[in-house]
Amino acid sequence: MTDKAYFCIAVTVYGIGMVYSLFLWRRGFQRDDWTAYSLLGSGFIFQTISIAIRAFKYDPPRCPVTNLYETLAFIIWAIVGGYLVMGLWQRLRFVGAFASPLLFVMGVFALIPGMDPDVLPGEARDYTGVLGNLHRTLGALALGAFGLSAVAAVMYLTQEHDLKLHKFRAILSKLPPLQRLETAMTRLLWIGFGLLTLGIAASAAYHFQSGKGTSLGEPMVVWILAMWVVYLVLIILHWRHTQSGRRIAWGALCSFLFMILTFWGALESHLNH
Amino acid sequence: MAIVCLGLNHRTASVDVRERFALPEGEVPMLLGRICGETSASEAVVLSTCNRVEIYAATDGAGGELLAELRELLLEGREIEEDVFYAHHGMQGVEHLFKVASGLDSMVLGETEILGQVKAAYQLALEEKRTGSKLNRAFQKAFNAAKLIRTSTNIQRGSVSVASVAVELAGKIFDDLSEHAVMVIGAGDTSEKTARALLSRGAKSVMVSNRSFERAEELAEELGGRAIHFDEWEDEFAGIDIIISSTSAPHYVIDRKKLEPMQGLRQHRPLLLVDIAVPRDIEPEVNFLEDVYLYNIDDLQSIADDYLRLRHEEVEKCEELIRGKSIELLETMKGPLPAREEDDLDETAEGGRAAQMSPS
Repeated sequence: MTDKAYFCIAVTVYGIGMVYSLFLWRRGFQRDDWTAYSLLGSGFIFQTISIAIRAFKYDPPRCPVTNLYETLAFIIWAIVGGYLVMGLWQRLRFVGAFASPLLFVMGVFALIPGMDPDVLPGEARDYTGVLGNLHRTLGALALGAFGLSAVAAVMYLTQEHDLKLHKFRAILSKLPPLQRLETAMTRLLWIGFGLLTLGIAASAAYHFQSGKGTSLGEPMVVWILAMWVVYLVLIILHWRHTQSGRRIAWGALCSFLFMILTFWGALESHLNH
Repeated sequence: MAIVCLGLNHRTASVDVRERFALPEGEVPMLLGRICGETSASEAVVLSTCNRVEIYAATDGAGGELLAELRELLLEGREIEEDVFYAHHGMQGVEHLFKVASGLDSMVLGETEILGQVKAAYQLALEEKRTGSKLNRAFQKAFNAAKLIRTSTNIQRGSVSVASVAVELAGKIFDDLSEHAVMVIGAGDTSEKTARALLSRGAKSVMVSNRSFERAEELAEELGGRAIHFDEWEDEFAGIDIIISSTSAPHYVIDRKKLEPMQGLRQHRPLLLVDIAVPRDIEPEVNFLEDVYLYNIDDLQSIADDYLRLRHEEVEKCEELIRGKSIELLETMKGPLPAREEDDLDETAEGGRAAQMSPS
């Protein structure tokens, strides 16, 4: 079986997870079971196999983040990996139900023809070696952490809305308390921000080591720095307690949506530069 | 062979009648002795709580005859104007025991305290050597049925009192109650219960503010908290995360205009406001403020009612489970006591001892 076939299976499993999450949503998140966790766990296994096959296709083997398909697949993998750790805590297990629609949509998007060209595009051939791989890996992991943070933000906003409007389901559901969701959301922002910073540092070191210069005017550089600033502002706002948890949640959600919606254009222009 | 049950409870007898039949724990062994000695019962268990007095007995003779004897024994020295007893035997008696143990016959549907009380009553009879194979099997099965109902239905789900709903709400907002302080404004009965419930769930501390400072001091002492003067509560506001208000003031004690600037001091920490007063103490508009969650008495009562409705929806399912377990029991009673059940009975005896020692 090819790496793509394994990825297709993983996306299908995430799709089943999405259907199951709709069922959980309708039932008001009352039952705490392992079904959503197990579904995402099995999807994660298929995706790990897919990524491993892909990594060893390259000579020498490298972190497979060279085009939009691979990058999205890696981000999905990072989100699911993060969730599998979070889900060990009973109250955070429902994150999976909120995450599976996002994973499915991203997976389907990654599978659109043309996202995975046979020929390795320009810049993608450049980021090789330890620092190059580190830059790609850390960048994709950072996006995964921001994705999970956005999922926690959706949970926060759902619970906050229900509590404000005195909905019975707010008290009936087994979603975590608001403060715990806020903590999870902001910790993931910190983790994502840390990974992104390290990824940028690795890129700078790579360029310094290889002697290749990079222009601050390049779309991908502008995009990454803009994202870095956005998340820095969010973290500072939270750290200084100047904004409510609700606003931080909207910030985390909108930033991630903006990032994922503009990521395609930024990456395409970078790879074809 | 028959298992019978004769008793009265909150549905059949008023509190003044129940008082007359209530048995102090010390008198139960004597009554057990009399049941087994003076009637045709070979085994007996007496359950006496504030809401019910029941005798479960087994006989090799006729159930009807034993029920008449038990009625006579219970009425001895007591006068009642009308018949307050219910009597069950055979399948009915067993089903009643299972319902009682599962909380289906309780005043608050699905409450769990009764199971501990049934275990304790059984344990006492076991120690007095007033139980035998029939009641041992019946009570063992009753505990199994109660466990099954607890784990496979929603009969015990949620809070059905205003105080416990407030605690549950706090649990949906705050991660760890031990880091959050409570303020009680107005020393009413429900606010006291709510504060007590929050403290029992680990709330960090409690402050009491009341127009009468003496009453505030009194309640603060009872709750292990601190009393503050009524005109000083606003000074303490920054450190408080849960406010329970139940004053008799004819106007709002907390309104949006007052709360909005005070929220700035709290660095966007969530604030739970529980308004139990009628007329209301807190202006409804404050719920529009960020990080503020306001619930008044109607909101809390509505949640409690929803939970109760949810429990009532489960009754049919519970009764079905009970019917199945009762049939199972009556079928096993036809044969000899299996060895495994003997082991289970030993475990139940341990459970009963534990229940007796527990506060429930």
